[in-house]
Amino acid sequence: MSRLLSMLFSLFLAACGEMEDTQSGNTGTEDRVANRPLVVTSNYPLFFFASQIAGDAKQAPRIVLPSIGGDPASWVPTADQIGLLQSADLVLLNGAGYESWLDWITLDEGRLTNTTAGTTSQLIELKELPTHQHGPAGEHAHLGTAFTTWLDPRLAMEQAGAVAVALERLVPDQADSFRDKLSGLQSRLTELDRELADTFAALNGQPILFSHPVYQYLQRRYDLNGVSLHWEPDAEPGISAWIELQKILQQHPAAIMLWEEVPLASTSARLADMGVRSIVFRTASNRPGHGDYFDVMGGNADRL
Amino acid sequence: MSGAWYLGWRYLAFHKFKSAILIASITLMLFLPAATRVLVSDSAAALTARADRTPLLFGAAGSPLELVLNSLYFHAGKPSAITADKLDQLQATSLAKFIPLNTHFHSRDNPIVGTTLEYFSFRGLELAGGRLMGMLGECVLGAGAAARQGVVSGDYVVSSPETVFDIAGVYPLRMKVAGVLKPTGSTDDAAVFVDVRTTWVIQGLGHGHQDLAKPGAAAGVLGRKEGVITANASVAQYAEITVDNIAEFHFHGRSDNFPLTSVIAVPPDDKSATLLRGRYQSNDEGLQLVVPATVLNDLLDTVFTVQNYVILGLAMLGMATVAVIVLVFLLSQQLRRGEFHTLSRIGASRIYIGLLIASELAFVFIGSLLLALSLIIVMKQYALQILQSFLTL
Repeated sequence: MSRLLSMLFSLFLAACGEMEDTQSGNTGTEDRVANRPLVVTSNYPLFFFASQIAGDAKQAPRIVLPSIGGDPASWVPTADQIGLLQSADLVLLNGAGYESWLDWITLDEGRLTNTTAGTTSQLIELKELPTHQHGPAGEHAHLGTAFTTWLDPRLAMEQAGAVAVALERLVPDQADSFRDKLSGLQSRLTELDRELADTFAALNGQPILFSHPVYQYLQRRYDLNGVSLHWEPDAEPGISAWIELQKILQQHPAAIMLWEEVPLASTSARLADMGVRSIVFRTASNRPGHGDYFDVMGGNADRL
Repeated sequence: MSGAWYLGWRYLAFHKFKSAILIASITLMLFLPAATRVLVSDSAAALTARADRTPLLFGAAGSPLELVLNSLYFHAGKPSAITADKLDQLQATSLAKFIPLNTHFHSRDNPIVGTTLEYFSFRGLELAGGRLMGMLGECVLGAGAAARQGVVSGDYVVSSPETVFDIAGVYPLRMKVAGVLKPTGSTDDAAVFVDVRTTWVIQGLGHGHQDLAKPGAAAGVLGRKEGVITANASVAQYAEITVDNIAEFHFHGRSDNFPLTSVIAVPPDDKSATLLRGRYQSNDEGLQLVVPATVLNDLLDTVFTVQNYVILGLAMLGMATVAVIVLVFLLSQQLRRGEFHTLSRIGASRIYIGLLIASELAFVFIGSLLLALSLIIVMKQYALQILQSFLTL
């Protein structure tokens, strides 16, 4: 009996896992029967935007975010996930160098949509680049671009627009529905933009710190006076990191540090001793444990 | 009546060697012109069928025939390369689906064809086992290539060095076989398909090595200066791309300048095709746009002209053979005068003796005809393979 219950529980968990990865609980077989196009996204914001725009109609495209442990920016797709990407009718990409795996995975380029392709002039190029030299090519650096574009709600709106265009191209019959839902999504993003603008305006330009260089678009959008460190929330900063922080604080007397996740208690306590308050501002790059994209962003604003 | 046929048959059976030479001569006389015509017409049909299914082809300015033979049949002749930025320029026109090809390398005798996944749907290639290549360093083999190298999905094939004298040059790349295709009877059967970027790794434009910033790579570091790490020659390069070392593979230089053999263009309609041809008809950027079917038809016109000369020559040879055979028969009748005289004395009429000679001739000609027909049927079965052996060697 207990074995049977265990099996049923396992089946339930498997079903939940499937639901977590896809917009609906339908299996792939059912989708093929229903001829629903398969759309795979490379991070949670795109998954959320696409899901909102596609809606939950019976014939709506099936939106999938592969199970990614950790930050999707450093995702290394497994063989099964490569198969999923290859079988997709549409792969929605964040662009701006976010999908480093594109350099070594074989995909049908005709099915890829870079959602920041239309906003390249608004992308932030990274200046501090490592250089190296080997062979006759000489010294060179790999150029980079800041990729957490969706933290600027106006860029997020552009990306949502690109998602809608790609979905329209995929399922022209549902174009009107997609446009209606995009309009609703963009209204909510405009509202979020206003809320964040009000929140950051209250800081009055006071210096702040970013635990990691992922807030470039947020900084630019709300004109934040911030400096980025390279601290991980789950790792104890070394002595050199603390010394470097002290030097920075002499020039940049910040009272707030934004973290992607809750930092170690010891780190928070030591920062507090230095007069720096730790505040979690999640980027929502991966699926949140609770709530959706707007809940995460609303929570960020509330904590500030 | 049947006695004359029997005697004729026994005569030929008794003179086996003479009969065999006669039959072989007449068989060749019948077979050679017919075989030439069948081989040329079947080859032409096969060649034009593949060319007809390839609407447009872009490549470097030069011989259109070399470009078409290399891109469609992976012929050993290597046309000049174009740079990858030309593909971007073409794609920017949005007038067609563009499929890049890089056919510069081989794995043993099998051509390595660097392309994209669209090639498989474009050519209608289906998997017999495994899956399509999913990442750099993986390959999909045509049925013939897999059989020749004796590999199945999960095995490995190795790229061949371009030249044995290039000691410090390109390392052979060990590639995992992701899948094997079903046989198609085309040159795709002999190919090893990889991602086009894998061919750039084979060429040495991209490579993987240990992270020089890590302490474990100290032995391979020549110097560190102001954030710049200079490697020495001892840095070990990976000969195989795996999930574990893929992140350490990178390309040097601008990928815009990386080489491609050609780009297949598949326009959605005639209007797009016409616009594309108009745009690239007179191009001064070192590009040429060809219609493979037209190039092949020009080649086949030449082949058919040559074929007619060959058949004319064979016909003249045939006439000479007939004359020799007639002479042989006449001389044979002189030698057999005693035999015919004996037949006459035991009661055989002149008609009977004429029937005996006719039966011998009939047996020889019918035997030759059947043999020639059999050879033509067999050759027709293998016409494509014969053609491929000429094109891929």
